[in-house]
Amino acid sequence: MDPGPSSSPALAVRDLRFRYRARENQALDGVSFEVEKGQMIVLLGPSGAGKSTLCLALNGLIPHFSRGTMEGEVTVFGTSTRHRSVAELANQVGLVFQDFEAQLFATNVALEVAFGLENFGVDRPTMEARVAATLALVGLSGLEHREPASLSGGQKQRLAIAAVLALHPRILVMDEPTTDLDPAGSIDVLRVARQLRDEGRTLVVAEHEIEALTGVDRVLVLNRGRIEAVGSPDQILTRAGWLERRGIQPPGAAHLLELLGEPPVLDVERATTQLRSRGYHVPDDTWSALTTDPDPILRAGPPLLRLSGVGHRYPGGVEALAEVELELHAGEFVGIVGANGSGKTTLIKHLNGLLEPTSGQVYLEDRPTRGMGVRELGLTVGYVFQSPDHQLFAESVREEVAFALRNHGLDGIEDRVDEALKADGIEDRVDEALKAVGLAERDDEDPFTMTKGERQRVAVASVLATRPRIIVLDEPTTGLDYGEQRRMMELVARLNREGRTILCVTHSMWVVAEYARRTVVLAEGRIVADGPTRQVFGDETLLERARLRAPQVVEMTRALGRPLLSVAEAARCLVREE
Amino acid sequence: MDIYLYVARDSVLHRLDPRTKFLVLLAVIFLAVAGDQPWLPLVLQLLALGGIQLAGAWRSLARVRVILIAVFVVSLLVWTVFSGGETPLWGPLTLESLLFGVATGLKLTATITASVLWLSTTRNEEIAAGMTAMGMPHRLAFTFSAALRMVPTFIGAGTTIVQAQRARGLDVDGGGPIRRLRTFLPLLVPIFTSALRAANQQAMALEARGFGVARRRTRYLPLRMGAWDWLLLALALVGIGMGLWIAATGALRIPGLIR
Repeated sequence: MDPGPSSSPALAVRDLRFRYRARENQALDGVSFEVEKGQMIVLLGPSGAGKSTLCLALNGLIPHFSRGTMEGEVTVFGTSTRHRSVAELANQVGLVFQDFEAQLFATNVALEVAFGLENFGVDRPTMEARVAATLALVGLSGLEHREPASLSGGQKQRLAIAAVLALHPRILVMDEPTTDLDPAGSIDVLRVARQLRDEGRTLVVAEHEIEALTGVDRVLVLNRGRIEAVGSPDQILTRAGWLERRGIQPPGAAHLLELLGEPPVLDVERATTQLRSRGYHVPDDTWSALTTDPDPILRAGPPLLRLSGVGHRYPGGVEALAEVELELHAGEFVGIVGANGSGKTTLIKHLNGLLEPTSGQVYLEDRPTRGMGVRELGLTVGYVFQSPDHQLFAESVREEVAFALRNHGLDGIEDRVDEALKADGIEDRVDEALKAVGLAERDDEDPFTMTKGERQRVAVASVLATRPRIIVLDEPTTGLDYGEQRRMMELVARLNREGRTILCVTHSMWVVAEYARRTVVLAEGRIVADGPTRQVFGDETLLERARLRAPQVVEMTRALGRPLLSVAEAARCLVREE
Repeated sequence: MDIYLYVARDSVLHRLDPRTKFLVLLAVIFLAVAGDQPWLPLVLQLLALGGIQLAGAWRSLARVRVILIAVFVVSLLVWTVFSGGETPLWGPLTLESLLFGVATGLKLTATITASVLWLSTTRNEEIAAGMTAMGMPHRLAFTFSAALRMVPTFIGAGTTIVQAQRARGLDVDGGGPIRRLRTFLPLLVPIFTSALRAANQQAMALEARGFGVARRRTRYLPLRMGAWDWLLLALALVGIGMGLWIAATGALRIPGLIR
């Protein structure tokens, strides 16, 4: 039966098709490829391309767990997954899921890693040795007795990897392992991936953060359940425009070179050298236009929102915020960045009263907000939560968007609501909000059947309907593909141009660099930097201290002396010496 | 948010076998509810407090202090008022009813304190391992401990959902019954869907780590019965027997108590 690992590839996928039960379209529609032992391949593709479905098929969860119709075949070292249960395959193919919270069960780190070994009936001495070795491999030695819940996001994801690796699978599959992580956490996780590949393990990684990926042997681009391209990173990732049209973010260095009409390379240092040797620079007049404070007039008046000496200590004694001084002026677009656990979300929850400061004071136009409550503050400060799934419940988009308006209409605070709310009816405002997010035609659809990007827009519309002056967004691009992220941020930028004040928390550095005019950096609950985005991103030591990392295009142009914030800006502003 | 009561320490009580601790807990409960006199629940309450001291688990107990006080005060009041006796103290109050009220309050607080002590010194995995070792199928024992493990996840999601809807102006506190039902819908739908999604994810992650693959599962945490275990186990069995005897014979009744 088994011809042995020498003659068969590690993984072979042959004409794989899969349709989920009760769905009309094929999630996978004839996918074929092979992965040689010891290779690392990366799966790229927009949302709905079939990346996650493919990952599930590689360890047998499809067809054994997820309901649907599968055709074709997946073989692991020559054996078909159809004839093995998922549990039996677990020591052949390890699968690390995107959501690290959902895959940790144990009450301490060592037990988490031991769980799979217990299932396979491994004896205790072997188990102890493997737990220690695996934790060392992912860099978690010394944390054996910590509770998984107390780890940082990046540590949790590395623990999830360790828990799977302890079984010594010959193939490791990771489904977007860095989705919810800060830049430093992502780098740590991808470094582990690289190290495993260098040790001769076979890796399949679905990713969207291609700038941080290294050591990739092959890239596979999926689109609508089919493979659109396969090749080396140099062949695929340098086709920046082509990738972008498919909703995949191209690596910044290659993208910039392509736009400048130079031969694209992937390596940032080589790309920088190339730019330098060709004499690219930012002319003085362009630079002085870029570095003029974009918002001087905005900041001339009194602040709309002001945080004075704000600190927050959670019950149990954890100090999440300390001595925060922040002024927000009408019309600003502020990005808030910082590592996991630096206090970003705690900070913005103070703006609409979800949290009250345990020390200090928040002022809305010089009125202390203490005691105002979420409901009243919510009319001025709209808050878009990270996951739309934590708030959507209605059967139609229209009903969902009208929710906040009905809530505010139903009780006695109408007299404080601005005149406009009384003037136009609920329906007009819903129409206006839906038009703003581009869903005007789809008002009677069921939000639950929409894509995540669309659901996020419904959530934004439901906040817009009350016409808040300030909009606070918590990680508005998490879980969206590049195309959806762009559409979301273009929407936010337009709302800002139309006069709304924006405050946006995100891990996505390119989003802040490109869209926020002012950036606030948090580290361990304190503001460590607050200034024009260009200035903040120009300070490499500062970013490193805060465990952040600028996008490639910023790193390159910073090395040339004048940091530019987006590929588009760099392509526009860089000129060649005559 | 941390809802686990477990205190990571290395006390004598932590080192006891989970099976021993489970039987001791059972003995405490049996003895506590067996009679009507307050002195036996009082002794058990003091023993449980001694255990808390030994395990260094005062923080866990402090977390349930509101429940402890409320339970004690309510049962004291209710049973003192709704039972009668022969020896009047003040107004309708009798000595017998007061003793009975105190006893009922102590029965409940002793049971709660002992349970807190159990959860403070026994890991989730140890509870599951102990139950498996006592003959419960591993799948069932694991389901029990996985359910415990999911509680903080659900509380976390629930808190976020309540915050998200409050930010959209939902009044979660006010209104009559019909209004209240209406306010629950925007909370229940997202809570239900996110719970379903989490459960599905967990099931897949379990499969992917070989859950149930080997006929004989091994244990990373060894179960070992030491000298203390055998001694306490014997005491626990005696205690359970005494409890049954007290309940059956009606010893430790309060003479003259009218229920």
